[in-house]
Amino acid sequence: MTATANSSSPLLSIDGLVVRYGQITALSEVSLHVDEGEVVSIVGPNGAGKSSLLGAIAGLVQPAGGRIAFAGEPVAPRALERTVRRGIALVPEGRHVFGGLTVHENLMLGATVRNDRRVVDDEIARFFDIFPILGERRNEAAGRLSGGEQQMLVIARALLSKPRLLMLDEPSLGLAPKVTDRVYELLAEIRAQGLTILVVEQNAPRALKAANRTYVLNGGRVRLAGPSATLAADPDFEAAYFGLRTEAAS
Amino acid sequence: MQMIIQVLADAFSLGGLYALTALGIGLIFSVMRLANFAHAEFVTVGAYVLFALSGEPLVMGVAAAILATMALAVLTERLAFRPLRNADPATMLISSFSVSMFLQRLLVFLVGSRIKTLDPLPMLNNAVTIGGVQVSSLKLVTIIVCAVLLAGLTLFLKKTRFGLQMRAAAENFTMSRLVGVRANTVIAAAFALSGALAAVVALLFAAQTGFVQPRFGVQLVIIAFVATVIGGLGNLFGAAVGGFLVGIVSILLQAFLPPELRPFREAGLFLVVILVLLVRPQGLFPARGLKERV
Repeated sequence: MTATANSSSPLLSIDGLVVRYGQITALSEVSLHVDEGEVVSIVGPNGAGKSSLLGAIAGLVQPAGGRIAFAGEPVAPRALERTVRRGIALVPEGRHVFGGLTVHENLMLGATVRNDRRVVDDEIARFFDIFPILGERRNEAAGRLSGGEQQMLVIARALLSKPRLLMLDEPSLGLAPKVTDRVYELLAEIRAQGLTILVVEQNAPRALKAANRTYVLNGGRVRLAGPSATLAADPDFEAAYFGLRTEAAS
Repeated sequence: MQMIIQVLADAFSLGGLYALTALGIGLIFSVMRLANFAHAEFVTVGAYVLFALSGEPLVMGVAAAILATMALAVLTERLAFRPLRNADPATMLISSFSVSMFLQRLLVFLVGSRIKTLDPLPMLNNAVTIGGVQVSSLKLVTIIVCAVLLAGLTLFLKKTRFGLQMRAAAENFTMSRLVGVRANTVIAAAFALSGALAAVVALLFAAQTGFVQPRFGVQLVIIAFVATVIGGLGNLFGAAVGGFLVGIVSILLQAFLPPELRPFREAGLFLVVILVLLVRPQGLFPARGLKERV
């Protein structure tokens, strides 16, 4: 575990990020950073700009201004297949399994950027040991899995690229509370192995529990930021979450 | 018995040609949602290359035709379609029409619009006898070649790493790029494969018709488009099945319609198409994720 900010520059740093869709400003002047080994969550209501933020980091969305740097290098937009090669894996909202491909094929695709086929096979076998349900259905179409199983599958698929930063967009969306528990257990295990995680959530209590630090995003701006434990006790938290406070947090 | 076997040979050889053409179209549609009408000119150019190398050994002519259509396919992708990759589907459709028309006129300019005769597979002009029934060797070989190519393509898509990436790109292009599939490589490869299939279709079709002219591939490709729509746009298995169905239905109409109605067999074919689409608007085997493309 290297959760301390021992290096001078963070793994991911975002400075004054602006994202616009035509006339609509999705993100205005958003700045944040994620250190190596940290779990950072971004919470906020629907339409707060959370997905735009992850999209901009992954190269899915072209920023109108600001700077995104990963491991000290600027992130170029529209170079989607380079994102994962640089060590950023995105688990997008709505899961996006390749529904017509088998469970096993989905996992193989996770390792597209790797050449150590044998190690990959071992890792897939280990994953099937942890989730025997998926192991039994390895040759079935992934689209036929339940929502929770699909979520596990896409997280495993993302991990197979051996990322330095794992980004998850609303991993609990549309899942039963019990299944969400299982997803967050998995995230805790991943975190224990020292992987850096950036998770976006509408479900604030979940996110606060899972993350070292949390940013509250609303109306495209960071309203509040700090260690999750502090935020959980902060009387302003709910106001910031629901956009009742207008001045940006210091 | 004689007649049934001959009708079957006709049906499957024509169906196989439609299936191979439909697959060439389907490959490109599934990875980039482009209805590539220029596929007709890939086939036509393949046939002209065979015509130009008529005097040379068959292997040379076929190899040259395959290389030429692959190069043409990759080139059209690079010059005409890649810049439009994020454009509206309607824009891409118009662009593919334009490329098709451009190549057709270019051929008229280069080689003239007059019909040229060729006989690329003279060794297959005889008939073989199977169980006392005479069947054209060309039709048998057409069926065998189609079956082998379909099997080969299936193996490539199912068993190789690159085939897997191609299927992933076909299903969800953006997500496939996010796991690291290189979009340009996959799309260029789809065009190259599609071009190679067009050359094989050109060889078999030219051997059947015995001539080539600048609109050589057009009718074939229009019917193959119908086949991909019936099979389910974006689904390769559906495209192949659709191709066979269309071939079989048109031969059956040809064989069993009363003689005075035979000139209208295509009307009958398209009537069947309309009926299928009324019952299954997404085709017989709807593709997944057609709406997921960003």
